[in-house]
Amino acid sequence: MADVARLPTLPEQIRLVAGLRWRILRNGLKTKARVWDLIGLVISSIVGVVFVGSLSIVFFSVTMAFLRVHREARLGLLFWGIFLWWQVLPIFVAGFSPSFSFRSLLRFPMSFPAFYLIGIAYGLADSAAMASIVWLFTMTVAVAIVNISLLPAMILACALFVAANVTLERLVGSWVEKILSKRRAREVFLALFVMLMVSLQFLNPILQKYGRSARPEVEKVGRYSELFPASLPGKILAGSGANDFSAVGLGTAGLAGYALFFGGLLLARYRTQYRGEELSETVAPKRISAKRVTERRDGGGPEIRFLPVAVTVMLKKEIRYVLRNGFASMTLLFPPMLVFLFSLQFGGAHPTVSNRPLSPDLFFPAVMGYVVLALIAPSYNVFAFEGRGMQTYFMLPVKFRDVLLGKNLMLAAILSTEILLCAIVLAWRGGLPSAPTLFATFAALVFSVVGQLALANWSSLSFPKKMEFGKMQGQRQSGMAVLIAFSAQIVFGVTCGLVLFAGRVAGNPWLPLAIFVFLAAAAVAGYVASLDPLTKVAEKKKEAILEILMK
Amino acid sequence: MQDAAIITEKLTRKFGALTAVDGMDLRVASGQFFGFLGPNGAGKSTTIKMLTGLLTPTSGRMQLLGIDFAEKPVEVKRQIGVVPEGMGLFERLTGAEYLTFVGRMYGLDKLTTKQRSEELLDFMQLGDRPKTMIADYSHGMQKKLALAAAVIHGPRILFLDEPFEGVDALAAGALKALLARMTERGATIFLTSHVLEIVERLCSHVAIIDKGMLVAQGSLVELRAGVPGAEGRTTTLEEIFLSIVGQGGAERPNVEELSWLM
Repeated sequence: MADVARLPTLPEQIRLVAGLRWRILRNGLKTKARVWDLIGLVISSIVGVVFVGSLSIVFFSVTMAFLRVHREARLGLLFWGIFLWWQVLPIFVAGFSPSFSFRSLLRFPMSFPAFYLIGIAYGLADSAAMASIVWLFTMTVAVAIVNISLLPAMILACALFVAANVTLERLVGSWVEKILSKRRAREVFLALFVMLMVSLQFLNPILQKYGRSARPEVEKVGRYSELFPASLPGKILAGSGANDFSAVGLGTAGLAGYALFFGGLLLARYRTQYRGEELSETVAPKRISAKRVTERRDGGGPEIRFLPVAVTVMLKKEIRYVLRNGFASMTLLFPPMLVFLFSLQFGGAHPTVSNRPLSPDLFFPAVMGYVVLALIAPSYNVFAFEGRGMQTYFMLPVKFRDVLLGKNLMLAAILSTEILLCAIVLAWRGGLPSAPTLFATFAALVFSVVGQLALANWSSLSFPKKMEFGKMQGQRQSGMAVLIAFSAQIVFGVTCGLVLFAGRVAGNPWLPLAIFVFLAAAAVAGYVASLDPLTKVAEKKKEAILEILMK
Repeated sequence: MQDAAIITEKLTRKFGALTAVDGMDLRVASGQFFGFLGPNGAGKSTTIKMLTGLLTPTSGRMQLLGIDFAEKPVEVKRQIGVVPEGMGLFERLTGAEYLTFVGRMYGLDKLTTKQRSEELLDFMQLGDRPKTMIADYSHGMQKKLALAAAVIHGPRILFLDEPFEGVDALAAGALKALLARMTERGATIFLTSHVLEIVERLCSHVAIIDKGMLVAQGSLVELRAGVPGAEGRTTTLEEIFLSIVGQGGAERPNVEELSWLM
């Protein structure tokens, strides 16, 4: 029998959990030994405070402006903004890395009411929620300044709005946690998010083309938004301003109803968790079949005869890794998509941004530079996703140059494919550049990519940082690796720009090609010469590399 | 005298002020099933990492199968197999793909790699999930796969760091039989484990390391001779271990202090 006099009370349990979270935060800061990490943390905190503070001023000013012209109902727009921020942001921030810390509290003898209340308290401690509450507070201050008689209605509306939001956010969060407990779902989710962000770039051209004609339909659908929780605080305030107490009553009842409905659903969801719901990435155990398996197993794929076996094997492994990294494989779709977008904005017959289309002789090299910029960055931390497998490279009887070659060839293959696809898009949208520029651009690509790979290999061995598939939160490169990549891209970009410019100044369109061929040959020679010294670097730094990547 | 599979001379590894392995002179004969024991933090994993090329010694020499590790690391690695502490698996590959990768890297041809992979996966009872990624394997399944990868090229020395941890009793039995067969055929096995019963049952020779120094080395018979047991009963490895490392149990925590647990 456990020697326990009494269970802690509800406030004591909440205080203990708050203390635990504080200690985790404090200890987390202590482990940020690297100066760059700490600087990153400080900068992101400052950016966060500036962001929330700036929007607080916006919320305050807009509330004042609406109230001064007696447009209380329009405050609903601000509540909609806060509602979307509060509900959407946590899904993506929390979604990419499953956190079971809240659920892990269940191993302690905690009552269900305590579990439920701590769950809601977690929701209020969320950064999106805290920012939202700050904005609601600034709006309330503005209401108190302009029209004090509206203050009781504002406080009531804000309290119910917070209750509805926190319960809804927790409810959605717990379902997202359930769905995202599977790695594949997490990766698809992340990829969809990035796709969504990229797709937003197309909004401007679409609105320019269809915006006017679609407006009546949008307004028709917009009327139904009044039924949503974010519209109800505006209804309460408008009713209060016009002394229409039935509107106040309806708005209050609606918002309270939403809060109770979401709270009830959350209660049911948490009760399932409280009873011991299993969320795990482990595959459910299957009965082992007694018969010999006859399915086709990995045969190793075709050989690439001109490459050493170790390089070929590495290359195949890399292809599998890219294909299985749902996010990485989906990002390969982005360059042709974005090039298409750029061509809508700056190229083609009717560009949406510039008055006249850019000439292919300018547009083509610029877009190719962008493709290299977008795709070469991961090679500066090329072992990020190896995890424990990194040990294998040092245990195998291979020279590290073969490992690097395999990885670099994979990137070269991806870049070649992407460049080809983007060239096809450009040829379709605005035509190819003149022959001297076309060939000079390809030679410049060889110079830039091969030259950067030698540097990137050194950076990967000297400043490795572990990253995980399908995660976004906490997935930062080493500060030095970012600095090296950034500097290298500037140097290579400026060099390429100067060489192209030199051709124009000299009036000789073939001059850049000649210079780039020479530079590309030098880059290839430098790259080949770097492989053996880099093998020594790998051997020298293997302990540090393994320690960082196998954490 | 048998040929030596592993010889270390004054092998030392320092981490800053801490000397994890201190001037170790180790000799393991070919064909031995060798148990390497020590308390937590004694230097076992550091030693095995140095012997397998995962860690560079601060000083001293290592010879495996008569080849100097520092001079010909690739040649040594070709002859050895390793199940390291972290298992070293690429989690985004399937079991078959990982074995193919490792087999080909050890220089096996495609057909041999394929045949051996299939045999090993079936032997390890991993063959029923050809499409499952290693990330989705249980800990025990990962351990079995790491062992399969360590033996696919028929190594002459096999290094195993806690090979039975997390492996079920059925699979452990099959693995022990496999290892015993390898030693019968002349392979040398160098094993670390905290489970002394396993070491006692499998190993013919044992070395004990404590605070970075080798404090005992020899056959089980030789070690038993040095620690007399109770009358009419063979001394167990646990008794030998405790008498050497724990100084007769003097360093054991006093359970009486936790009287409130009873």
